[in-house]
Amino acid sequence: MRAALQVEWLKLRRSRVTLAATALMGLLVPATGLAFYSVALSGGVGAIADKAATFLIGEGWVGYLRLVDQIAAVAVFGGAGVVVAWGFGREHVDRTFPSLFALAVPRGTIALAKFLVLSVWIVALALVIGFVALGLGMVAQVGPVEAGAAIGEIGKLILIATAAGILALTMGYTASLGRGYLPAIGTLMVVIVAAQVAVLFGTGGWFPFAVPGLMAVAGAEGAPDLHPAQLALVPAVALVSMWMTTRWWANSEVT
Amino acid sequence: MMVLDDLSAGHTQPSSSFRCGKGGRRGRSRRRGRGGVHAVVGLNGAGKTTLMRLLLGMLRPDSGRATVLGHDARQAPHHVWSAVGHLIETSFAYPELTVRENVTSTALLHGLTGSGLDAVDEVIETFELGHWSDRRASTLSLGNQQRLGLASALVHRPSMVVLDEPANALDPAGVVFVRDLLTDCAGGGSAVFVSSHHLDQLARVAQRITVLHRGRIVGALDPGDSDLEQRFFNMVHRHDLSTEAWG
Repeated sequence: MRAALQVEWLKLRRSRVTLAATALMGLLVPATGLAFYSVALSGGVGAIADKAATFLIGEGWVGYLRLVDQIAAVAVFGGAGVVVAWGFGREHVDRTFPSLFALAVPRGTIALAKFLVLSVWIVALALVIGFVALGLGMVAQVGPVEAGAAIGEIGKLILIATAAGILALTMGYTASLGRGYLPAIGTLMVVIVAAQVAVLFGTGGWFPFAVPGLMAVAGAEGAPDLHPAQLALVPAVALVSMWMTTRWWANSEVT
Repeated sequence: MMVLDDLSAGHTQPSSSFRCGKGGRRGRSRRRGRGGVHAVVGLNGAGKTTLMRLLLGMLRPDSGRATVLGHDARQAPHHVWSAVGHLIETSFAYPELTVRENVTSTALLHGLTGSGLDAVDEVIETFELGHWSDRRASTLSLGNQQRLGLASALVHRPSMVVLDEPANALDPAGVVFVRDLLTDCAGGGSAVFVSSHHLDQLARVAQRITVLHRGRIVGALDPGDSDLEQRFFNMVHRHDLSTEAWG
């Protein structure tokens, strides 16, 4: 396992896809949240101002960070999904997959190592988003800093970003099964739409991919309360997909 | 569809030429005399790559069994694979990694640790990749990518080597380099299984040449015979005629 972790960590660090995704999500998610917050508070007229106002839950740090929560729930799932899809699918697209046969390290172990380094990256990305959101909020002076509330809201943002990222690990299976990153990216889009539909029909709590979005609006008027079992579905789905993917890798053939 | 029947590659099958000695590379011979080069030739689509994939556990045979060092290729324990090096179709070359990082990665996955990883620099020099060692693989020429693939396949000094068209994309100096490499590998005790279109090159290094045609072994050529090309085509043509007669 150690050898596989070393190799997969190196590949992830050197990947331009990972670097671009980290930079884009780390900066754009909090910045977009801040922009929406500013527009919502500006009292302006227009479609964007109206839309921003509907997403606003509270004022000051709470209002700003809950907007960032809502953006992170979708953007991190999409962005991390692309990185996960690339991590697994590139072995087929770059035709390096046959090189992973007949090695002292089993392919199932290599797949597991991919998941472990991607999980570490997802947590790191969530921390980056949290700290950048904190920094941007302080620079923009969104409100007086109340240590307890701010830490709580930042913690919640990190948790939502992590949950969305962990759910994106499921794309490892579709990328493997589809032998490329495009099938996984297509699946990613379908799942994002399906999550919206599930929320509209009021069943989002039991659709794990909608859970980070519902966590982001928890406490808002009309938002459903999340049952602990619904929250537990998030890691459960990720773990099941990891198991299915490692099995696929262990038993796969070259086509 | 390729059907393999009693295909074997290990100590337990005396009829096989894939007897494996403990590895060795250029100038590092060990257990001399146990290795050898078994070449497989055939036209495009004859099944050479499929045969090698079966041998490396990349495919499940429709029937029969491919064994490696006495183990079923699909279920061989991973310590068995640490004695095997291969280059099938594409190299172990991740474009974002440097040459050294690529070779180090494959060395780790082949089970090398600690001082065993000293072999990385050594193999980079042996394969004349020193000048490019800190460059990304994506910047290498096709020929140097092929050298990188060969270096990655052999960094752990495998006792069984499977190479599909190892001279692909190489210049004439590279072709000679590969020829010498195969000879040295075999001299060092490794069993080398190689495919190529270049009969003349194979004849210089192989002790045995098997002819594959339309997924079947149709005969063998003696590397010492003259006019191997003509013999090869005669063999293939005879097989086609007999197939038509039966069909």
